Amino acid sequence: MGPATRIATKDLKLRIRDRSAFILGIFAPLVLAVIFNFVFGGALNAESLDLRFGLVDLDDSEVSRGFWEILSGAESEELLVLTDFEDAAGAEAAVEEGEIDAYYLIDPGMHAAVEAGEEFEIRIVGDVDAPTSTQIAASIAEQFGAGVAGVQLSVATSVALLEGSPPPEIAVWGEEAAARAPSYVLDDATTETRQLDATTYFSAGMAVFFLFFTVQFGVIGLLEEQRDGTMARLLAAPIRRTSVIAAKALLSSWLGIISLSILILATHYLLDASWGPPLGVTLLVMAGVLSAVAIMGLVGSVAQTPEGAGNLGAIIAVVLGMLGGTFFPIGQGDDLLSKLTYLTPHAWFMRGLAEISGGAEWTAALPAVGALLIFALVLGSIAWALMRRRITA
Amino acid sequence: MVKRFGDLTAVGGVGFSIEEGETFGLLGPNGAGKTTSISMVAGLLEPDAGEVVVAGISISPASVAGKAAIGLVPQDLAIYPDLTATENLSFFGRLYGMRGEELAKRVAEVLEVIGLVDRKDDLTKEFSGGMKRRLNIGIGLLHRPKLLILDEPTVGVDPQSRNSILESVESLSAEGMAVLYTTHYMEEAERLCDRVAIIDEGTIKAEGTRRELVSMVGKRDRITITATGDLSRAAQVAGDVQGVFEASQSDQGLEVLADEASSLLPELLSRIAAGGAVITGVEVVEPNLEAVFLHVTGKALRD
Repeated sequence: MGPATRIATKDLKLRIRDRSAFILGIFAPLVLAVIFNFVFGGALNAESLDLRFGLVDLDDSEVSRGFWEILSGAESEELLVLTDFEDAAGAEAAVEEGEIDAYYLIDPGMHAAVEAGEEFEIRIVGDVDAPTSTQIAASIAEQFGAGVAGVQLSVATSVALLEGSPPPEIAVWGEEAAARAPSYVLDDATTETRQLDATTYFSAGMAVFFLFFTVQFGVIGLLEEQRDGTMARLLAAPIRRTSVIAAKALLSSWLGIISLSILILATHYLLDASWGPPLGVTLLVMAGVLSAVAIMGLVGSVAQTPEGAGNLGAIIAVVLGMLGGTFFPIGQGDDLLSKLTYLTPHAWFMRGLAEISGGAEWTAALPAVGALLIFALVLGSIAWALMRRRITA
Repeated sequence: MVKRFGDLTAVGGVGFSIEEGETFGLLGPNGAGKTTSISMVAGLLEPDAGEVVVAGISISPASVAGKAAIGLVPQDLAIYPDLTATENLSFFGRLYGMRGEELAKRVAEVLEVIGLVDRKDDLTKEFSGGMKRRLNIGIGLLHRPKLLILDEPTVGVDPQSRNSILESVESLSAEGMAVLYTTHYMEEAERLCDRVAIIDEGTIKAEGTRRELVSMVGKRDRITITATGDLSRAAQVAGDVQGVFEASQSDQGLEVLADEASSLLPELLSRIAAGGAVITGVEVVEPNLEAVFLHVTGKALRD
């Protein structure tokens, strides 16, 4: 056992006696994962929404039947339950009785409006106690409307071309038609496999969020040794000075791996969280812990006191955690917020987990593992250099 | 050794040597450069100029082997409060390469020396200040260093524990260990140290045995004799004793100035008694390091 391991073992013994590391590293994330899953799990987990829609088709045309076919297709995929009603009163009663969450009302004249290139309307009446389901119902109708409008534009463009006098707006029409193409597809298998279920999402989110607090105990130890006077004795011992830094990084890594491992096992067996292939999860845990150690090491290297490091570390952990989507999902679109998430190890950890938890091979986690290791290497090198300068000054 | 921190020269040229079994004192006020000097000796700081050699090995912050010959007892308590006395000793012992039976045996010996056998399995956060200080020293001497550095080890210690610590240090030099002892307590330096260096403003102002330092200042022992009878005759007789510099009559008896009071006192008292005076009390006041410090630095030790 080398000096770094000996010092880290001593620190681990102190942390076990102190208990605070394990309260923050295991107890708090486990409890919060359970609470979050209980409170928000239903909203996040589409499968648990149990969508029940009704349809009142007073137009009974080719176009309105097209909408019915879309809904029927979703029903056959077990994404929702569809009930046909003869009139609005029957559907209204079903909503009031809680038998369905929302119903679509297609008035007569939809077909004619489409043929004439005019706007049409699909009314949605939803249960006030089922806002999420109602919102989903509205989204489906909007996508259908966008698709029909795109067809209308295409037809109008074709007619204009056949008449030999293409209007100057034709390029704009084409762009509009393309933009109105449906972007939300109910049975997109790729989307399904890349989403974490609510239990796994909150378990992983809380685990990686609190990981940053847990590893902090190790790197802050360096400042505590200086504050408590024991650093002089360590540096006077016949060991390399860098052994002291290595010991703190080692302890941080141990604490991170221990807490994440316990959380993964606990949430798997107690909450039925689905983490994915063990090898992929192990790689993500290792890389995630190293990136957390590097970031918190950087905090420890610039702070002057353990208390200062604790405060600064907490701020950084919360900001990165929220930005990284550990409390609520952040989309992977092209907006600024989505791009900023990639600056956090949290987002890469969650993304890597999402890649493998849906049944993909462990290799699907490798891009996220690579990104996490880059965090660890770049920030860890800076932290190492700063800490080395601190203890040799 | 020279050490500068920016524009501040903390140590401007300090040099000394210590023999095996010798206790060498660095006596100086707070801020004189004592801790900076011993930090360089212990390999905590790299001197800007000069070299530290312990047991033939050059010491620097990077010299791993050389540090094994040194035991450091920092001024601040350097122990882990959530470890027991045994765990503290064992942890630092392992850092110095001690293992297994050798380590366990040595830990038991040191616990005996510092008087903590009964509390060896208690967490040190439950210890009194004096017990913590003793453990602090015990860790420093655990690996039997050739040079033990004690940086003001009695600061903030109650008189009873302080005496215990001083007795421990006295026994260390008797075992052949070289001891470098820094203090701003003059009485500790006088009691413990074979040689003393007076340090102030980063330089050594004077160095030698206590007697050498006192002689350098020119001070003599003062013997106050309380007596009755023919005091005039007694003063004359006393003045004739070899080694007596001056003898005079006072209200209560005699005042005698001499070079070596302890050696001439038997003859002096014998002659005074033979001269007809009745001696009822004797007090010897030797010139102390406080006076030396005042002489060489121009200020009191606790300024």
